[in-house]
Amino acid sequence: MGDYEHLLVERHGPVGWLINNRPDALNAMNAQMRDEFADAWIELDRDPEVRVIVHTGEGRAFQTGVDVAEIASDGVGMQRYRESVEEFDLHFTSWHQQVWKPVITAVNGICCGGGFHWVADADIVIAASDAQFFDPHVSIGQVVSIEAIGLIRKMPAEAVMRMAFVGRHERMNAARAYELGMISQVVDPPERLRDEAQALAEKIAKNSPAAMAATKRALWGALETGLTEACRIGAGHLVSMWGHPDQEEGPRAFAEKRDAKWAPLEGRSGPG
Amino acid sequence: MTPAPGRQPFARLRVEHQGPVGWLIFDRPEAANAMDATMFDELERAWSMLAADPSVRVIVNTGEGRAFQTGVDVVQMARDKDALREHSRRTRDAQLRFTAWHCGVWKPVIAAVNGTCAGGGLHFVADADIVIASSDATFVDPHVSLGQVAAYEGIALARKSPMESVLRMALVGRHERIDANRAYQLGIISQVVDPPERLRDEAQALAEKVAKNSPAAMAATKRALWGALETGLTEACRIGAGHLVSMWGHPDQDEGPRAFADKRDARWAPMEGSRPDG
Repeated sequence: MGDYEHLLVERHGPVGWLINNRPDALNAMNAQMRDEFADAWIELDRDPEVRVIVHTGEGRAFQTGVDVAEIASDGVGMQRYRESVEEFDLHFTSWHQQVWKPVITAVNGICCGGGFHWVADADIVIAASDAQFFDPHVSIGQVVSIEAIGLIRKMPAEAVMRMAFVGRHERMNAARAYELGMISQVVDPPERLRDEAQALAEKIAKNSPAAMAATKRALWGALETGLTEACRIGAGHLVSMWGHPDQEEGPRAFAEKRDAKWAPLEGRSGPG
Repeated sequence: MTPAPGRQPFARLRVEHQGPVGWLIFDRPEAANAMDATMFDELERAWSMLAADPSVRVIVNTGEGRAFQTGVDVVQMARDKDALREHSRRTRDAQLRFTAWHCGVWKPVIAAVNGTCAGGGLHFVADADIVIASSDATFVDPHVSLGQVAAYEGIALARKSPMESVLRMALVGRHERIDANRAYQLGIISQVVDPPERLRDEAQALAEKVAKNSPAAMAATKRALWGALETGLTEACRIGAGHLVSMWGHPDQDEGPRAFADKRDARWAPMEGSRPDG
């Protein structure tokens, strides 16, 4: 782990960075990169020094989805990708990998097609003011499915449908994405994106890691079921923190006007 | 406004009537309207009372002072072991009884956010039908900054407004606030009242518009739309069809078109003692 061809993994204070690093191909995801994502999420999740993860891209694109050129030319890669999709056995986003640490996607430039996986599956999304969003799947004879299914539960559906059907013939800008609540911050000038993402991540890193993991489970779990049942399951996540040392430390630190010393998360934030 | 008749005044709330509008006002401004054991008990009683009162067509929920609602008063609850035990049990078993949704109130409920709405205060935003706010209102969820889990409020809010903003509020904790204008953009609220002093007047005016509509049709509408949050789309439509048909043959369905044609206000059938969930 730690040695990647198409990704950069960095640590800045309590913040782990995962950077798409294939700028010559607009960060399109080939088979190698797909495998590296699976490892990189788990590496950052296991690292107890990492409290929050920021995901961004190198160059003028954030992510442009599956490397269609590779799929067209490499029969083996296509077969393996097809099987993973058919089985819904995907491992390239934090949600697929059950990372329960907070994840911020910082969209630099173009985000298109499969790039929406990391918008849909992040907790928080911010973007540079020159970021652009579009989904060209249907313009090249492909189906829009998994990314949009996630997005449609998290934001107004009409905008997702429009992107899905207009395909490559229209782009959404960062300002519109902000209006719709797809993202919560537009960074201008664009060069400040990583600084702002780091600053936001450091605020989040001040909060209880255990409470954030349970909160994330409660809120993402709520997308799986009806409201009343989601509240019932959410109550279990809520109660899971009762008796945890952070619940004493939080109010005490607040009263003493100091930063809290939270218990570290052990191992994976997720399952075992 | 006039106090509700025939009841002891509440210690932590005020319940008032103004025309067809029932007001439920958090009245513990010295504690930023935080909920102690007494307020929990009184909320359940007040929602039930307003739901059962046939003269109340619409309910407005707001707060006294500079805060709307700031959630559980942890310090006070810790002093009252029995109350804490009971609240903990209800939290654990998902049997909370302090919002209109918890109490099965099927009259329209408007939350009028008059200032800080923090943590558990978001319950009343999530569980209202309509939410408006004064221009100086702010929204913040400090749970994770205190080592606590944000669950119920965010679960409901995320079904009603873009989820990214809900997750951001839940994970950034006390280190950031959403202002009224952003809440309006996101559709968490539908009206920003400026100057803030006009909040109650605007809430009353909005409630009076809502009160012009058929109480029975609004109750069935509310059941259909909130029920849709419980299930998949096709099933929600199937169940919603039942609520729709439940009004066929109801006198309001004759009276509505007739009043419209006669250019007069409709005289709707009163809701017979609309007991919560009754």
